[in-house]
Amino acid sequence: MLQTSNYSLVLSLQFLLLSYDLFVNSFSELLRMAPVIQLVLFIIQDIAVLFNIIIIFLMFFNTFVFQAGLVNVLFRKFKGTIILTATYFALSISLHVWVMNLRWKDSNRFVWTDGLQTLFVFQRLAAVLYYYLYKRTAVRLGDPRFYQDSLWLRKEFMQVRR
Amino acid sequence: MRADSGLRLENHLRPPRALPPVPSAIQDDTPLSHPKKKKPRTKTTLGSASLEGFVQTATRRPSEGSEPPNKEPVEHPEAPVQRRQKKTKLPLELETAFTQKTSSPSVLRNENGIDVEPAEEPVIQKPRRKTKKTQLAELQYANELGVEDEDIITDEQSNPEQQSVFTVPTGVSQPVGKVFVEKSRRFHATDRAELIKTTENIDVSMDMTPSWTTRDVALSVHRAFRMVGLFSHGFLAGCAVWNIVVIYVLAGDQLSNLSNLLQQYKTLAYPFQSLLYLLLALSTISAFDRIDFAKTSVAIRNFLALDPTALASFLYFTALILSLSQQMTSDRIHLYTPSSVNGSLWAAGIEEQVLQPWIVVNLVVALLVGLSWLFLSYRPDMDLSEELMFSSDVEEYPDKDKGIKASS
Repeated sequence: MLQTSNYSLVLSLQFLLLSYDLFVNSFSELLRMAPVIQLVLFIIQDIAVLFNIIIIFLMFFNTFVFQAGLVNVLFRKFKGTIILTATYFALSISLHVWVMNLRWKDSNRFVWTDGLQTLFVFQRLAAVLYYYLYKRTAVRLGDPRFYQDSLWLRKEFMQVRR
Repeated sequence: MRADSGLRLENHLRPPRALPPVPSAIQDDTPLSHPKKKKPRTKTTLGSASLEGFVQTATRRPSEGSEPPNKEPVEHPEAPVQRRQKKTKLPLELETAFTQKTSSPSVLRNENGIDVEPAEEPVIQKPRRKTKKTQLAELQYANELGVEDEDIITDEQSNPEQQSVFTVPTGVSQPVGKVFVEKSRRFHATDRAELIKTTENIDVSMDMTPSWTTRDVALSVHRAFRMVGLFSHGFLAGCAVWNIVVIYVLAGDQLSNLSNLLQQYKTLAYPFQSLLYLLLALSTISAFDRIDFAKTSVAIRNFLALDPTALASFLYFTALILSLSQQMTSDRIHLYTPSSVNGSLWAAGIEEQVLQPWIVVNLVVALLVGLSWLFLSYRPDMDLSEELMFSSDVEEYPDKDKGIKASS
């Protein structure tokens, strides 16, 4: 069974990482006095996303549903989050590499092309969806029903076996 | 734990005691916990000579009223064994500075629920009481301290009528006017009322913790975020309107003074773009939360039914896309230098060409954001996520699963 204190701790860590991510997405364009600043911000941002992925998977592994072997049920429920997080991670890394590559010599240069603008829009949109779905998943995993045997789980089990 | 709760129940049912000291009142709700700094103790006025005698009386006492009846048969046969153990144990007891204290039986009985062999308890418990300072003991004292004033006597007293079968060997003790609290390896006399105050607070907080489940944590976080969202909806609408007003004022009549706009607005353009993204992101997430966007079927149905909240989230998302598409132009404004300067991004005459769509997009964003705010304020309490996610009925699940299947 999930301990309340542990869950609070994990949830606050996840929200901290999400807030950092949102902060960098919002203000990284302003913080480009030196290219190194942006580089460090981007690296930490990507690591934060990676951490969030690891944390959410650890939370999945901790559920009774997973331990009962119903990985499929869990995947079906949180498919959106998993796919979108992976997409966002890929988009982030590619945008960061592209932007840093263009701005490394002169951070105040006008670097925008149509391609970069498009990638930028998609990355930022994916970010918003990622925040929403990730937050929702993290909050939902606090539901005690995921950590105990229940009628619902037995029904699911029967469906899987069929 | 089960035995403990049984005890608790038992305690509530019991009628109030006529005679003072003993342990039975003490045990109710004392969660087992970690060691604490101080451990109050009382010294009894008993001499060692009477120790032999009162061991027997006290050992019988606790089970008299507070022990669950079904336990008695189990404990009964072990009584002689315990008594014998106690007798062998006595010299050790006498060596200690403080002898029997009033709460000691309750310690034993609280832990009875957990300890497997009650017969061995006296042997194990006594040394532990001396060395370990537990919060448990402190909490017991919170109750212990609440004895009636007339109960406090200094004379030795034993109650022969309190005969019982459950034999936890303890001494007879009486509450005294002062409480002796161990601080830095010494016992200091403390006022009872003062100690009650401090320990009662701990008791309350300990009682609260079990009722606070992970679901409550999740729910409170969810509601906290809804408050953040509510703030950002309004703030965003205000900001966007302010922004578009500033742009039109700076641009002058019929956008005749665009170079002035560029010069004045260039420091503002990028920070505002960043702020806009932050607020739009928060507002969009909050609006999605309200319609439970992840359940696509529900969200689409609501949208088709022209539900204001669903419309608002759609408008926010559109505003977000439009705002993001102006990132390039915002950076261009941010890096504005007059066309006369070498390497300027702004060639003469392209200002209107670039700025016209930018102003229009900003206007549209302001309108969308303002409209969304109006739509949301039409039904500010609506929150489908909370309804669907945190509903505790198992019967909800078939509906939820249908929704998920439909969305996948």
